[in-house]
Amino acid sequence: MIYGSAGKDHVPGKPVRVTINGRQYRAEEGETVLSVAIREGIPIPHLCHEESLDPYGACRLCFVEAGKHGKREMVTACTLRVAEGLEVTTDTPTVTKHRAILLELYLAEAPKSEVIKEMAARYGVMKTRFLKKMETDDPLGGKCVLCGLCVRACTEIMGAGAIGFINRGPYTEVNTPFLEPSADCYGCGACVKVCPTHAIVMEDSGSERVMKSWSGTRVPLAQCDCCGRYYAPKELAARTLSALDPQLERELAGLCPSCRGKQIAEREILARQGGAGNHA
Amino acid sequence: MRVEAEADLKALQATGLKKLKPDKPRIAVGLATCGAAVGGRKVYDRLREAIAREGAEIDLVQTGCIGYCREEPLVNITLPGKSLVILRKVTEADADAIVRAVLNGKVPEDKALCRVPAWDHVTGFVMEYGKGFDAIPLYQDVPFFAPQRKVILRNAGFIDPEDIGEYFAVGGYAAAWKALHGMEPEAIIAEVEKSGLRGRGGAGFPTGLKWRITRDAPGGAEKYLVCNADEGDPGAYMNRNEMESDPHMLIEGMIIGAFAMGLRHGLIYIRSEYPLAIERLGRAIGQAREYGILGENIMGTGLSFDIRIARGAGAFVCGESTALVASIEGRTGRPHPRPPRLTDPEGGLFGKPTDLNNVETWCNVPAIVANGSGWYAGIGAKGNTGTKVFSLVGKVDRVGLVEVSLGTPIRTIVFDAGNGGANGKKVKAVQTGGPSGGCIPLRLFDMPVDYESLNKAGSIMGSGGIVVMDEDTDMVDIARYFTGFATGESCGKCVPCREGLKHTLLLINRIQAGKASKKDLATLQEVCETIAATSLCGLGQTAPNPVLTTLAYFREEYEAKVRP
Ligand SMILES: Cc1cc2nc3c(=O)[nH]c(=O)nc-3n(C[C@H](O)[C@H](O)[C@H](O)COP(=O)(O)O)c2cc1C
Ligand code: SF4
Ligand code: FES
Repeated sequence: MIYGSAGKDHVPGKPVRVTINGRQYRAEEGETVLSVAIREGIPIPHLCHEESLDPYGACRLCFVEAGKHGKREMVTACTLRVAEGLEVTTDTPTVTKHRAILLELYLAEAPKSEVIKEMAARYGVMKTRFLKKMETDDPLGGKCVLCGLCVRACTEIMGAGAIGFINRGPYTEVNTPFLEPSADCYGCGACVKVCPTHAIVMEDSGSERVMKSWSGTRVPLAQCDCCGRYYAPKELAARTLSALDPQLERELAGLCPSCRGKQIAEREILARQGGAGNHA
Repeated sequence: MRVEAEADLKALQATGLKKLKPDKPRIAVGLATCGAAVGGRKVYDRLREAIAREGAEIDLVQTGCIGYCREEPLVNITLPGKSLVILRKVTEADADAIVRAVLNGKVPEDKALCRVPAWDHVTGFVMEYGKGFDAIPLYQDVPFFAPQRKVILRNAGFIDPEDIGEYFAVGGYAAAWKALHGMEPEAIIAEVEKSGLRGRGGAGFPTGLKWRITRDAPGGAEKYLVCNADEGDPGAYMNRNEMESDPHMLIEGMIIGAFAMGLRHGLIYIRSEYPLAIERLGRAIGQAREYGILGENIMGTGLSFDIRIARGAGAFVCGESTALVASIEGRTGRPHPRPPRLTDPEGGLFGKPTDLNNVETWCNVPAIVANGSGWYAGIGAKGNTGTKVFSLVGKVDRVGLVEVSLGTPIRTIVFDAGNGGANGKKVKAVQTGGPSGGCIPLRLFDMPVDYESLNKAGSIMGSGGIVVMDEDTDMVDIARYFTGFATGESCGKCVPCREGLKHTLLLINRIQAGKASKKDLATLQEVCETIAATSLCGLGQTAPNPVLTTLAYFREEYEAKVRP
């Protein structure tokens, strides 16, 4: 059995056939039903799934009914691995009923999120019977649904661990430890990128990147030697370059992506004309 | 000394018996947490002073708890050749009288709860105390004890839990010897399977099968065996008493399991709120190592197995298997979806296949090995074999730990053992299974207590708490209490549990404040059904039970509080 994400160290699995809503699809053993559905354009709502991370199963929106030989069980599609002969039905009456309640809970939890409103509306939920969470100084602007993706991207993908969960249960929030500016934050913006509700606020201001949602964490930016633009978090730029071939690193260090592009293009042209030396 | 031959065990048993049944009087004070809480330590100290003052030849020891909490502090007296007598509600002021009576070959009969002429310690040893004190009722005639059957609490309240010698005396570690020297691992697993033993942590998973899966999982001996001693349910304390009163029985069960599954690392995950249990377990593990029963080359077999204690910080959710593993590894106790299960390759502790069993599950194992699966399967009901310890608490007359065969009707537990409501009040319902169990109304009390019947009634076995409610209990308030507990203990990972329980609590508060309408009741029902159906782990899946069952069985109490 494979439990890790199919995305990591990808070894193709055995081909299998699954049936989703009566149609057969090809898939690889080890893939999740949600991955197959996304690839095939079958709508299954989800908030906590990210292909490059292990299944997490927190948002509970991706429920489907699935089973073999006519048996049916309600399961989350993001944790369900495909298997030969697996039959999946999305949007059954039971799934729809529970999903509607979950969406009402989301509408109350993140009343400012347009993404949630649209998603709820797509499933016929226009308003919530539950008391809406109203916080005036919420650093995530009433949009966070605690899907955990930002924390996991920061920890598991970037290895920074700058943000984490604070408290637990209904008091859970995401932020930096002790709500202090983080020294571990690279300012990479991976959290911003994975956030499904666009709740995280990040702004570049002069020579600094300000992680507004993360206790005002400030990260210095690198300035391009050529055009003078601030282009990337300093430390992150250095770290990324250090993974490259040393000569290449020397040539590219200090340049923003567009100047870098120009320089490479120039050199390639020269090289073809037999001008500058080759870089191996 | 190391136990390396069967004769060593026999010799240790003989030595131990001299302590348990000395040729002079022995006074034993029940000093589990429950006894200590009602002044047991002071009783012990006064008795020691009185004995010293009289220069009396009397042994004074501490024991665990026999389970009759209402009558504590309990004190046992053994006079040579006479029945053991259990005294009830002993106070400091009684110390002198007790010592004087004992010196005269008597016991203070006005304080006597019962006498015990002989006691079956279940793992192959019956202690014959002797005759006498005929005016004192027999143990089995005490209404609280009459419906009970002691298999797990076989030694509790009789032996000193801090002295391995007394465990040897009652036949301790003989089952481990039998298993390690006389049985194949496969045969042990087959015995446990045939016994029908199911996990006492709540879900009732067949223990033998879990062992087999762990044994067959890849990883050789580098797998883990873990005892779940998190016991976070409010009102439940049977595991605590099992560890405080008889820690070696747990260790012996784990040794047998380790041999059967072929692994060498054991761990007990226990909450820090149980300091006495931690202390006694630590001491017991140390003693077992001294005797070569834990560590390298255990009992002369060439096998190695040792147990470490991992302390939790008392989060209810850390009793859940995947959160428990996270907690031991030093991560936040948040469950993850299963599979992978702990027994799966890479699914368990430190990425190794892991067998997790509840304290009480382990405690059954020596009894099964000693007496055979047929004997065990003969106790209880089909599919629900053996006994279970319940903590009978709440508004019940006789509060305490009740051990009965599975399948015993609720009525027997609450009315025969518990004597019904406290202060003569009428009993209305019981809540079983801890904070996430359901409330069962009086009219269903003929229902047998087994995993399936409880589930059918909308409740669960859980780890065995039974909370009694009487005519004065507001069932909506009960639902609010348990929902509040679950909300506070939710780890916050998944939305139905984190948000759903919060809104459940808000809705109940509205009802209690007289501000809710009938529509709110419908919303309450719907949100609870969704929490149960969609939560990630057992906490959320079962947390709505108190609301759902009170809505089903006591709807009129809700309706009386809402606008139409
Ligand atoms: C929220 C939650 C709390 C739990 N707490 C405990 C506990 O305190 N003790 C326990 O043995 N099992 C507890 N369990 C059950 C365990 O996950 C697991 O099923 C059990 O320890 C397995 O042992 P068994 O097979 O011997 O029952 C809990 C489960 C959940 C979902
Ligand atoms: S059900 Fe509750 S305790 Fe379990 S994972 Fe979800 S939020 Fe955490
Ligand atoms: S995507 Fe499956 S639970 Fe969130």
